[in-house]
Amino acid sequence: MFPAFAKYRQSFLIGLQSNLVYRLNFAVRGFFSLFHLAVVFILWGAAFAHTPTIGGFSFGQTLTYFLVMLVMQFFVGAFNEDYQISEEIRNGLINQFILKPINYFLYRFSIFAAARMVTGALILIPLLLALPLLRDYLTLPSEWWRYALVPPAMVLSALIQFSIAYCFGLLTFWFLEIQGFVILSMAIESLLGGQMFPLDLLPAWLFRIAQFLPFYYQTYFPTAILTGRIELAAAIHGFGLQLLWVLLLLALNQLLWHRGLRRHTAVGG
Amino acid sequence: MTNYFQIWLASARYSVTRTLMFRFDFFLWALVELFWMSVNLLLISVIYEHTDSIAGWTKYEMLLLVGTSLLVQRFLMGFFWSSLFEMGRNIKSGAFDFFLAQPGNILFMASTRKLDLDGLMNSFVAMGVVAYSAHKLGLHPSVLDLLLYAAMIGCGLIIHYSMLVLTISLAFWLTSAQGIEGSYFTLSEFSRLPREAFKGLASLLFVWLLPVVVVSNAPAEILLRGFQPAWVLGLLGATAAWFTVAIFVFHRGLRRYASASS
Repeated sequence: MFPAFAKYRQSFLIGLQSNLVYRLNFAVRGFFSLFHLAVVFILWGAAFAHTPTIGGFSFGQTLTYFLVMLVMQFFVGAFNEDYQISEEIRNGLINQFILKPINYFLYRFSIFAAARMVTGALILIPLLLALPLLRDYLTLPSEWWRYALVPPAMVLSALIQFSIAYCFGLLTFWFLEIQGFVILSMAIESLLGGQMFPLDLLPAWLFRIAQFLPFYYQTYFPTAILTGRIELAAAIHGFGLQLLWVLLLLALNQLLWHRGLRRHTAVGG
Repeated sequence: MTNYFQIWLASARYSVTRTLMFRFDFFLWALVELFWMSVNLLLISVIYEHTDSIAGWTKYEMLLLVGTSLLVQRFLMGFFWSSLFEMGRNIKSGAFDFFLAQPGNILFMASTRKLDLDGLMNSFVAMGVVAYSAHKLGLHPSVLDLLLYAAMIGCGLIIHYSMLVLTISLAFWLTSAQGIEGSYFTLSEFSRLPREAFKGLASLLFVWLLPVVVVSNAPAEILLRGFQPAWVLGLLGATAAWFTVAIFVFHRGLRRYASASS
């Protein structure tokens, strides 16, 4: 079994190298993310000026939520994996994977994992530089179980993130251009994934619906566990749904891959 | 000048024809932009469910500000986004040679090649948000105020264009600019905040050094509180300064461009 995975280890290492080539690119993105934090700080700071709590949380807790959310995005978020897959299908580069004994999903996932290691490490640099400014506001809960649950929640989140990106990439088998779908998905994810505001601030009925959607488990779920916005019982229940979404999306990946290949035309030698 | 206008008209005609060919794409992109606008409006609505004021601005004043910011951004999307987005990729691939070989201003040729009708269509939605907010606030701007508002939106468009050119020009220095254009969106987030929310260093940086706040606050202030010379002059100055900087940086970057074609 393990020799079979050696090839994915190699693709992981290649992914690591190729992402390190673009380290400056990621560092610039990380730097600009600090501007997003500044927007959050200014907007929510002004909103909290007239009230000590919003949704039962203080300004420090809310700022911590956005900070953790940012880190999560760099560690588990899909950046441009959908475009890369789309390009490989459109350019015919995918043909080599059909002919070789390699699983395209695992190959792509190993590169995704390598990329997130690089981007995750790079976002920590600007955050460490900004730490003196943020330190007074950071408020993390002390319950040990939160810290124990976050790593598995992040792994499942990464699988959901990647699977959704993989699905969008595979849409290239049917559509010439997938950018519209991807950006629409980004808008939905930013809203229902809790990037714009903590989801628990939504009206109760809308929040309840969001809890059953995969976007909730992309970045909001691990972030909410770590920042004290979810209690233990809800976290365990959430794990069940998160796992269910992982399985459903993996099945959808397989379905789209096999159906897509039927439509695929490999041209050239 | 007339020649450039004719070139732009030819590009616009080509874009319209292309849109008619790919009608599904047009509807999809219109939906995408509409959804993004809704997300921003929803953020304001959610915050005002829990508070009455943001830096002294009421809910509908904030919506008017956000609508103004979105209006400028829709125009940018409609007139320039696709062309500039491709510019970053063309610089990397070497396809930028195509523009260098054309007998005209390179930046003009590269940034006006495509028109996005979906972005322009959604500008009407943004105008609707502004009009609705103005109605809720009981505002009755004069014709002069409206003309001034339109002129300020034009200045805002030039500033956003300059910011995007600056961001994309990073491609001349970085190996890959893929995803870098997202940085522009991060900076444009500031334009949805009222000037009064900025204090200390943030005020110095985002109000005085970067033009991101003045771009939306100046036109919004005209509708909310009438003509204010300081805002108008500030925006005009920022427009001239940032457009000059963008042109300069683009040409400096152009010197570094190494064609990747054979």
